[in-house]
Formats: sequence, C-alpha cells, structure tokens
Amino acid sequence: MSSHAYGNNGPSSRGVVTAEPVVAVTSLTKRFGAFVAVDDLTFALEAGTVTGFLGPNGAGKTTTLRVLLGLAEPTAGRALVFGRPYQELEQPARLAGAVLESNDFHPGRSGRDHLRVLALAADIPPSRVDEVLDLVGLVAPAARQVKTYSLGMRQRLGLAAALLGEPELLVLDEPANGLDPAGVHWLRTFLRSFADGGGTVLVASHALAEVAQTVDRVLIIDGGRLVASTSLEELAGRGQTLEDAYLQLTTEAAS
Amino acid sequence: MRAQLRSEFAKLRSTRTILGLSAAMLGLVLLVTLLHAFSLSTTDLASRSGQVRVLVEGGELVGALFAGLLGAMSLTGEFRHGTIRPTFLVTPRRGRVIAAKTVASTLTGFVLGLMATALAAAAGTLALAARGVTVQLDSGNYVVLLVGGAAAASLWAVIGLGLGAIVRNQVAAIVGLCVWLLFIENLLVDSLPGVSRYAPGVLGRAITGQQTGTLHTPALAALLLVLYAAAAAAAGWPAITRRDVD
Ligand SMILES: Nc1ncnc2c1ncn2[C@@H]1O[C@H](COP(=O)(O)OP(=O)(O)OP(=O)(O)O)[C@@H](O)[C@H]1O
Ligand SMILES: [Mg+2]
Repeated sequence: MSSHAYGNNGPSSRGVVTAEPVVAVTSLTKRFGAFVAVDDLTFALEAGTVTGFLGPNGAGKTTTLRVLLGLAEPTAGRALVFGRPYQELEQPARLAGAVLESNDFHPGRSGRDHLRVLALAADIPPSRVDEVLDLVGLVAPAARQVKTYSLGMRQRLGLAAALLGEPELLVLDEPANGLDPAGVHWLRTFLRSFADGGGTVLVASHALAEVAQTVDRVLIIDGGRLVASTSLEELAGRGQTLEDAYLQLTTEAAS
Repeated sequence: MRAQLRSEFAKLRSTRTILGLSAAMLGLVLLVTLLHAFSLSTTDLASRSGQVRVLVEGGELVGALFAGLLGAMSLTGEFRHGTIRPTFLVTPRRGRVIAAKTVASTLTGFVLGLMATALAAAAGTLALAARGVTVQLDSGNYVVLLVGGAAAASLWAVIGLGLGAIVRNQVAAIVGLCVWLLFIENLLVDSLPGVSRYAPGVLGRAITGQQTGTLHTPALAALLLVLYAAAAAAAGWPAITRRDVD
C-alpha cells in the first residue's frame, strides 16, 4: 500500500462542526425473535478518536454495526450517525464508510468496476476510484475479476470502497483479518493519521495486541451488554493490559 | 435516482451475466423454433395456428422467462454475493435502489424480449420457407408480435424483480419462475382454460396478438399484465425497504 498518500485522505475541513458526537447509540436493543443480540447498549464516539469494539464471538458487535449503518432496524432505542439515523443521511458515503464483510463482491466483476458501480451511485467522480485503488495498493490487480483476489486483497478492496467518499467516519468489522504484516502496519498507520486529521473510527476486532497499538478507547460488550467503556490510558493507569481487562470483564460477565 | 440508475447499468455491463443469459436465451429460442418447424406436419404448418406456434410462441415464452430471470437476479444476485450491503450503505434509501432496478430491468427485459421474438420470427420464417409452406402473417402481424413480445418480456422482468425481492434466494427465484412458466401454466391451460387466460404467462402470449380463441385481446392482456407487474412491485417494495439485511 502506498504510504505517501494518506495525507490527502484525512477527513476534509467540511467536517460537521457540532457538539454532537459522531456516533450516538442510546439504549439500543436488537432482538431476533426471543433472542436478545444487543441489550440496552449506550455509547458515543467523539470526533478524532479510534475506538476498538471488542467482545466474544456472538457478543453483538456486528449486529450493533448493522443497526448503526441502517442495514437492520433497532427493536428499541436508537443509533445516530452525525445526529441522524443513517438512512436519513443525504450523502452517506461522504460522511461514513464501512466494511462489514470481507467478501461482499460479485466474483465476476473487476475490483475497479466494483468501485465504479459504487462511485456512480454516490455521485463520486470516477477519478476518485483510481485514487483509492492507489491508496490501498490495488492498482495492479484492479482490472482482474475479484474471484482471483486473495483474502487480503479483498479486505483492501472493501476498505477502498469505504474510502471512496472521503468520509469522516469509518466503521470496520475485523478489517485486519487476512492482511499481511505490511498491510496491518499500513492499516494501523492509516487509521491513526485518519483520526489525527479529525476522523472517527469504530473498529470491531478480536486482535487485542493490534487494537492496543491502534486505538484510543475500547468498548467491550458481552451478551449484547456493554461491560466496559474506557481509554487505554485509564487501563494503563490501573496497571492493566488490554488483554487482562478483556479476559477479566468478559469471563466475569459470562459467569 | 439518476445516480442509482447509472450504477445499475454499470452493474449489468461489468459482469458476463447478461451475455450468458442472452446467449442461453437465443440458443433456446432457436432450438424451440426449429423443433416446432421441423416436427409439425406440413398440413399443420399450413394453418395459421401452426405457424403461430413456430413464429411466436417459443420466442415469446423464452423471452419472458429470461427477462423474468434477469429481473429476479438483479436483486437475488446482490443478496447472494453480499453486494447488497455496499449497495445499501451507499444508498440507504432503499426505495431509490428498487426504483432504479425496476427501470433498468424493464428496459433490459424489453431488449431481451425483442431479441427473442425477432430471432423466433426470423428463424421460423426461414424454416417455414424451407418446408415449402407460405407464411400467412403479414408485416403488420410481425410488428405487433415483436413489440408485444418485447413489452411482455419487460413486464415479466418486473414480475421477476418483485419475486426476487420477496424470496431473496437466487435458486428459489429461478426455480420458481421456471416451474411457473414452463410447468404450472401448461397444466392450467390444459385443465382450466377459462382461468388460464388470466395467468401472467398466457397474458404475455396474448400481447403478441397472433392468436384468437380463448386469449384476451393484446390491449386487455397488456393491461392485465401491467397489473401483475404492479402487484409484484408493490409486494416487493416493503419486502426490501422494511426487512433487515443480514
Ligand atoms: N439475522 C439473525 N437472526 C438470528 N440471530 C442472529 C442474526 N444475526 C445475528 N444473530 C445472533 O446475534 C448474536 C450476535 O451476533 P453478532 O454477529 O452481532 O456477534 P459478533 O459480536 O459480531 O460476533 P463475532 O465476533 O463472532 O463476529 C449471535 O448469537 C448471532 O447468532
Ligand atoms: Mg461479527
């Protein structure tokens, strides 16, 4: 991935200047039948921060992100992005970019065409497609069908799609899964510079060591409920590593 | 919705699905037309109803079927491959996506229907000549059958889209369309002819205007098939705008 380019990819100065948090999740509950996947969850994200979203398998992380991004309706409570439900954003791609699954591509479409299709729908100029391809290091295979891509290349393509609109919020579900060490390093550096430029990142992950190196804050959920919302500094102040805190909180919650 | 429509056409152009569908459709039309032309007796072929079977029926039916498949795959393909997520992330007002898909499917279905009926008419005419019978259809009949076949296919594309919106599953939608058009409607025609004239596949054939008897007039058939397409779209709309996407 080209390391020179992230300077011009931080969120631009058209940033939303309000006191509102970038993401505000309030008493959010999501049920599937009788099963409660997300249980009265409340949290907010401030601009300029990278937040890790942690929790065991099935804790409700992806479900929370789906509701936040308008793919699923909340059963109760609400999830706002820049003060509004995601579905009501006029140009969502210019405010938020997201990667929820690593393989949301038509296998017979080229990486470049995947991005072109999305850019057209979002009224984003085609020149931006080449910019994001360069940014994530996919220029060479861009004309090839996605079915020939490795897992890491698919992750990069998903990230490129999320970055198309030069968003101010990035929502990523397991983005480092399948990335090679250089890719992981690039992603970490990218997310840091993105936040330093005023952008906001919410990243669900199981890679605690990687999270500890990247994020400012962590939200830990278990069984759909929030069990911790803390900064890495606070944890360090208590002499705890992220892994200590995670294991303690999630096993406590489970027992 | 302009942006979404451009995006839908870019989706169609950027995979080989539409090429594959067109090739399969044209191959099937040719097969059905030639089978009819060379299996019917010359006495049958000399009659108007025999000629209509060769020149119209196969092309219209196969065109409507493939247009329906195209409409269904426009949505079920996105659910199958997961592209529905990026599609709805970029356009979370899902009604705009459905509206764009309806327009794109209608236009593409029209072209598929035109190709299918044109091939059937052309190959059928040559085959009839080869069998030494005189074609009874005049040029006005040909125009109506081409336009009618194309219109029927464009409406069937919307029916397929609505079905795809409701079932979401690609295999289920494809099997459902094939079973209905190729099997259930045939049973209806044989067992309940009075009812079958209201069936959507039979209405598609009636739009081509080349048969009399129990079929509705092309204008009435077109109106009824428009109602079917509108009902499918009306049922598909909430199925997409209200239901969660996994
Ligand atoms: N559409 C659905 N229907 C029924 N149950 C669902 C549905 N989606 C999610 N669930 C359930 O909700 C719970 C939370 O799932 P979710 O995918 O949000 O977990 P997660 O925290 O992302 O887990 P992982 O770390 O494994 O990705 C799980 O028990 C899952 O089985
Ligand atoms: Mg998950």
